Amino acid sequence: MNSSSTLYKKKGPLVVFLVPAFLFLVLYLYYPFVQNIVNSFSNITGLGAPAQGLNDPWWANYAALFTDPKLRTALGNTVILTVCTVVFQVGIALILALLVDSIRVGAQLFRTLYFFPIVISATALGLMFNLIFLYNGGMLNQLLMNLGLTSQNIDWKDTNHFMLTMFTPVMWQYVGFYFVILVTGLNNIPQDLYKAAALDGCVGIAKVRYITLPLLRNVLCTCLVLAVTGALKVFDLPWVMFNAGMPQDQGWLTGTYMYDQTFNRGNVDYGSAIAMLIVVLGVVLSNVANRVFKPRNDL
Amino acid sequence: MKKNRLFALLLAAVMLLSLLAGCGGKPGGDDSTKDPGPGGQDTQKPAASVELNVVTSYGGDDGNRKSYENAVKGYEDATGNKVQDASGTSNEEWKAKVLTDFETGTEPDVLFFFTSADAEPIIQAGKVVDVATIRAEYPDYGSNMRDSMLAVASDGKNYAIPSSGFWENMFVNTKVLSDCGVAVPGPDYTWDQFLADCQTIKDKGYTPIACSLFEVPHYWFEFCIMNNGTLASQLDIPASADDAVGKKWAAGLNDIKDLYERGFFPVNTLTATDAETVQLFGDGEAAFLIDGSWKVNYFVDNHGDTLSDYAISYVPAKGERTAGEAIGGISMGYFITKKAWDDPAKREAAVQFVKHMTSDDVMSTFVTTEVTALKNGASPAGLNALQQAAADANANITGVIGPVQDAVSPECKADLFANVQNVVTGAMTAEEAVASAIALN
Repeated sequence: MNSSSTLYKKKGPLVVFLVPAFLFLVLYLYYPFVQNIVNSFSNITGLGAPAQGLNDPWWANYAALFTDPKLRTALGNTVILTVCTVVFQVGIALILALLVDSIRVGAQLFRTLYFFPIVISATALGLMFNLIFLYNGGMLNQLLMNLGLTSQNIDWKDTNHFMLTMFTPVMWQYVGFYFVILVTGLNNIPQDLYKAAALDGCVGIAKVRYITLPLLRNVLCTCLVLAVTGALKVFDLPWVMFNAGMPQDQGWLTGTYMYDQTFNRGNVDYGSAIAMLIVVLGVVLSNVANRVFKPRNDL
Repeated sequence: MKKNRLFALLLAAVMLLSLLAGCGGKPGGDDSTKDPGPGGQDTQKPAASVELNVVTSYGGDDGNRKSYENAVKGYEDATGNKVQDASGTSNEEWKAKVLTDFETGTEPDVLFFFTSADAEPIIQAGKVVDVATIRAEYPDYGSNMRDSMLAVASDGKNYAIPSSGFWENMFVNTKVLSDCGVAVPGPDYTWDQFLADCQTIKDKGYTPIACSLFEVPHYWFEFCIMNNGTLASQLDIPASADDAVGKKWAAGLNDIKDLYERGFFPVNTLTATDAETVQLFGDGEAAFLIDGSWKVNYFVDNHGDTLSDYAISYVPAKGERTAGEAIGGISMGYFITKKAWDDPAKREAAVQFVKHMTSDDVMSTFVTTEVTALKNGASPAGLNALQQAAADANANITGVIGPVQDAVSPECKADLFANVQNVVTGAMTAEEAVASAIALN
């Protein structure tokens, strides 16, 4: 106790530990962020090219955001992805957590299995799912044909199927993340409550409805906030599978569209404006999510 | 306790240092030897072993990767220098990355890059050294090349020593054609014959044309606009979609749309990658493929057992163009950067490297049937069946011109080719696609 109070009185060690992190943040977060704001108002003709003054008018890129049909598509897809993330990622994770929590043997095995996709790089997963959804000789098409469910290959990336093909791997990858959080929350619920409820005849679905879910509310709220904010940042896996807005400019997400404009088209200033839009959306949505899914202190 | 504090301080110091690591200094060199003095004329001998940073497009699955690795090893063995190779696969992303490296001061010592408009940003920024300056100190630099074939930059100077050139033409799967009763196209092949052949092939259950319109529509674009113009006017750039060149481009796009609507491309041509459609051709499920000379080695490496099933033929012609006219030229070469030139430890090593990579012997391992700037020509050893087919086809080539895509800005090119999928599906007209691209040039 004595030593810890001495530690807090002496500010030197605190400074020594905080300065590297602060420098890191300034160099790699605050400076690029401020530069990005400046870029969004500037006229930049190519990737790596210096700015040639301000745009005319200086808000031109922000005005373009409202008339860009591809950006509208990207925003629409991102909203759908966010909803799917909440419903399927957290929903499936909750069901799996409840199931695993109710078994005595093999719980640890399932935890490892469900969490495993998280540790694989999104690029590797994207390449793997590309093979699964491949048109000629892909695993899924072979399976369906061998089972007699289809007589010809299905283009899983065409305009009729791309949403399913894009979102399924994203959902699958992060289910395990929320699963682990929810299982940890379930473990924190005292067993005495379940025993007392069982004496009153509260078992099965009723136990989940009246004991588990109410006591898991705060953990669920945290998962939902993480899911909403995480969905806005999804980039790598869809980019590997659906780069350049495949199919026919219908597969854009805000992240992939921003990347394409900046790095493939060399439209750096417009890409910066899209990045600002993503930041604003992220702040607004995370605030809304925080208010809607606000944890209660009385639980 | 004191030990813990010391350890904590040490840890923080290491973190701080690791944060700042790489923020200064130049890779692979000793700063104490790097001041060349005024004019950069220091003639100090290079260190015993110099580490040379090299970027080329011979990365990934490039057909010449093995030849490149052998050539680099030969250089290392001969000089004792080390090559830090950061080669990548040539595409728009790679080009952008290379240019960004120059902007951020992390350029390589030697760069193998496009000599077209793509290189103008680094030339105009004075980031690479012109050939005349290098020859003032090393008179035999690139002396085995025909000077008339060195690319001329916008300032009238030569900067790159050319490597092997390229050609783009029609690969055909002879097994598929034979099964469909279609003859291998000759130098008099016409567009109407091609349409009829494609229909026959399609009716037989094969895919007539292997092409990803999503990823590589440019091969067909180049030939389709040549079919609606002439070889001589291939490099003309439209000022608007309404002028003669703009109409030529639109007509070319509409020809691609016609092929798409007839169902001659793979079913998934708008979602497939180039690798997928080339695989389709390689596996004997498609008949025609327009690709470049670099693809020959791909087939040698991946379909070596069935090389006799492929041949190089002619892209069908219409209008004033004849099928013997093709796309080709020398579009890439070796640049020495100003950074390496100003570094006395690296100047000699960089010059030696380029001289080695462009020597007659090494070039002959890269060149099989491609255009070359070598004064003595290349002497490729024993051509395989496909290379021989390419050589035979090239013997009947009556005219070669560079691709027009190299003459427009990267933004224009990216927009034009991204909109090919919208043109063929009717989401936009060919004229709208041309106008959209030209606005970015």
